[in-house]
Amino acid sequence: MSDIDAVSASGYEAWIDSQFVKPQSFHLPPVTAYLNTLPAASQRGQTAFQWSIWKNFATGEDALRQRVAFALSEIFVVSLNSSIAFSYPRGPAQYLDQLGTHAFGNYRNLIDAVTYSPMMGLYLSHLRNQKENPATGAVPDENYGREVMQLFTIGLYELNQDGTQKLDIRGKLIETYGNSDVSSMGRIFTGLSWAGPDTANNRFSGGGNPVDPDKEIKPMQAYNQYHSISQKQFLGVTIPATTVADANGDIRIALDRLFNHPNVGPFIGKQLIQRLVSSNPSPDYVSRVAGVFNNNGSGVRGDMKAVIKAILLDPEARAAPVGTGTRGKVREPAVRLVHWMRSFNARSTDGRFLYGTSSDPATQLGQSPMYAPSVFNFFRPGYIPPNSRVGAAGLLAPEMQITNETSMAGYLNYMRGVVNAGIGTRGTNNALDIQADYSAELALANNPDLLVDRVNLLLVGGNLSSATRTLIRNGIASVNIGTANPNADLRNRVNLAIFMTMATPEYLFQQ
Amino acid sequence: MEVRMKNINQSRRAFLRTASSLSVAGSAAPFALNLATIGAAAAQTAGDYRALVCLFMYGANDHNNTVIAYDTANFNAYTSARAGLTRTLADLLPLTPSTPLTGSNAGRQFALPKELAPLKTVWDSGKLAIMANVGPLIVPTTKAQYTNLSVPLPPKLFSHNDQQSLWQASAPEGARVGWGGRIGDLMISQNANSIFTCNSISGSAVFLAGQASVSYQLGTSGSTAISGITGSLFGSSSASGTLTTLVTSGGNNVFTQDLAETTQRSIDANAKLSAALVTAPDFPLPAELATSSVGAQLRVVARMIAARNQLGAKRQVFFVSLGGFDTHDDQLTTQPALHTQVGNALSYFYNTTVAMGISDQVTAFTGSDFGRTLTSNGDGSDHGWGSHHFVVGGAVKGQRYYGTFPIMGLNNNDEVGSGRLLPTTSVEQFAATLAKWFGVSSTDMSLVLPNIGNFATPDVGFMA
Repeated sequence: MSDIDAVSASGYEAWIDSQFVKPQSFHLPPVTAYLNTLPAASQRGQTAFQWSIWKNFATGEDALRQRVAFALSEIFVVSLNSSIAFSYPRGPAQYLDQLGTHAFGNYRNLIDAVTYSPMMGLYLSHLRNQKENPATGAVPDENYGREVMQLFTIGLYELNQDGTQKLDIRGKLIETYGNSDVSSMGRIFTGLSWAGPDTANNRFSGGGNPVDPDKEIKPMQAYNQYHSISQKQFLGVTIPATTVADANGDIRIALDRLFNHPNVGPFIGKQLIQRLVSSNPSPDYVSRVAGVFNNNGSGVRGDMKAVIKAILLDPEARAAPVGTGTRGKVREPAVRLVHWMRSFNARSTDGRFLYGTSSDPATQLGQSPMYAPSVFNFFRPGYIPPNSRVGAAGLLAPEMQITNETSMAGYLNYMRGVVNAGIGTRGTNNALDIQADYSAELALANNPDLLVDRVNLLLVGGNLSSATRTLIRNGIASVNIGTANPNADLRNRVNLAIFMTMATPEYLFQQ
Repeated sequence: MEVRMKNINQSRRAFLRTASSLSVAGSAAPFALNLATIGAAAAQTAGDYRALVCLFMYGANDHNNTVIAYDTANFNAYTSARAGLTRTLADLLPLTPSTPLTGSNAGRQFALPKELAPLKTVWDSGKLAIMANVGPLIVPTTKAQYTNLSVPLPPKLFSHNDQQSLWQASAPEGARVGWGGRIGDLMISQNANSIFTCNSISGSAVFLAGQASVSYQLGTSGSTAISGITGSLFGSSSASGTLTTLVTSGGNNVFTQDLAETTQRSIDANAKLSAALVTAPDFPLPAELATSSVGAQLRVVARMIAARNQLGAKRQVFFVSLGGFDTHDDQLTTQPALHTQVGNALSYFYNTTVAMGISDQVTAFTGSDFGRTLTSNGDGSDHGWGSHHFVVGGAVKGQRYYGTFPIMGLNNNDEVGSGRLLPTTSVEQFAATLAKWFGVSSTDMSLVLPNIGNFATPDVGFMA
């Protein structure tokens, strides 16, 4: 509510500017603090990072940075649904911190941090990637070389600035790269491995003496003895064969080439619009955002603050919602939970937000931040639900890829419990760790109209249809305030108001 | 996908209690025996029914280490081509086909890795077929045609998401209709409840997307009831009815309408399915599948098939999956563990259909993004094209290989670089063979598989 007041008082742009300068809420420090309370042999897993995700998402004063970092984590996916989770208790927290830092920095630095992250190196397997070996026939791993193009920078097809696909003179799509580009990129991303005081072979392989205790939170380093010296040709650039291997130099050339490709603005810009505002931005909207990516007005390319401002302040983003309109997006399940936490000032009794993952679609949210099923995220930006009205209308609905008969039931059952009893680990007082503060709502619960209007404002920006508002209002009023236990009756009304609102399709589709 | 195992474990404990009470010496009776007991107790008549079950191995299963060259010359070629990525002879279970390989494959032998031992049992019983070198193709394609780009090629080869879609829907990502869903469209009128025609126990998959049929997505515990729409809700006896209205009212926006309709389907399907499953037999997972996601998924498929009469189902398509096959790294650790699940899960599922007396009417098959390179990157392999796959069921003409195995090695006309196989059978032929068995007429086949007319032999022959 205080954020709504702040935006109302100062205007959108001033609020965004104020968010840009809020200190970043980091995940690594609380994770490290928790690990330090454990015996060395138990310093495993992601327990404290899971807590920290919910805490920072729900309470960080840098709400915008946390929100954009989450969006970036769905583009530059490193998933804890992998073997990383057990063995690297600090690396993933550091990775999300890096995304948060560069969320308000420059895209070139962002893609650099992603590329050199040992967590990404593990996830897309370019950590320990070795040059080709003609004797054995072994060739470099092409995984990162492919996905850095397909998913992180330019995508599969050449784009106009407005995000539409370019066509050749025969009317066919133009592929941005071919398999020989991928092979060269595979050779470029060879020779990176763990940070450490030297670049000896055994350190490259994962050993080293001493092993750097912070290697999982430090950028990977170059081991040039494992870097390919063959010619690399990609996207019109040629790095000639050489006798002096230079992994960092080659990677810089490759990332510069990708960064300056005209696809990046529309490719990444449209995905950020989809994550933050609308599944189906108009080509003009994409073009305006891509234009700002290309040049922030001061000749700088890749200025993320300028891009975020362009996305959030665009007239298309700010236009008043219309019931039949298609601007908007299905709220992601994890965002719904954080929204509930923020709207009702949920706080952790312990202070650390003792809650884990929420991945099960049948009993939870079907989505847990940082736990995507693959590098292709929980859902794809181009997803069209089959056999749907959305699809028939020619529209995209990425989040509907994780919306189905089971997840709908699971979400409703889960939120019924959350709204009523909170969430998280059960504490010594038998209450769940994370509890909402409904005092403002309870104060209005004698009056169903005032209560529904407050919840409508907090959760739906006041945009519930009058029919839906009336249904919820009457649902609230159906609880009598008796004399035996009036406080419980008032609480039931608040529970109904929040749960019913969060159950409506009008809430689930954020306009 | 993360899977909650609590309910399964409870059921498993109950099963083990039953099993030990049946056993003579205190140890559990053989699993198949118990299944037979359960099946007999169910005493169902099979009737007119068919089911197709797709087990998709997400991430791209390495076929080179799945159906492994075993005769000496080819095993040697295999070991010399992929340094650090080969299985040893001691880990291999050679397969004996009922009829020897002929033509270019004459004299060749193949083996399964030991983790797939349960599938060797099914092979030996004649109910497992192996489809060699299948992958997406638009038309039959030679190496020269591939190199010269003189025929249309599948778009975005070697890209995970696009090739998954090509396997499932004959088109790259963005496809809105898959061949499982199109088969469902043609059969939907035979089912009393259309909702149970195409069923995914693994979330959204374009394979099951049809034009008339909607993919019903359920979890490993079956369908999920919405608790708030019945009984008292937060102290109000009428609020549950209000909630029902709210969650099923889509208003005038296509997004909210789709959301509301999904919830309505959830409510309707759960009412029917939960009632049907109460009286249908269950098929507890054996111990080796206790924590297996794909095992739990196939158990739900088995339960739904057991409930087919209550559900009014005559023709059903199912989708289950297992992820983690993108073995760029640590392949010799990762893939065997996944194969253990695949082998046990397919074997469990086949045995349940035998126990139900319906194995001739249920066919399971594997799919995957693509095969992988024969070359090694040290401890993993990269994105490929053609691969080998399994078909399991009572109606399968098994203990046989179908298609053509490629030359083992590099720099030949059967591969397009790094040992990426140029497919010799298209996924559409593989699919058409299954679809024909399922009841799709030859005249309807091109509705299901748009390029099938480009192939002279749409039926590969592995179905009776």
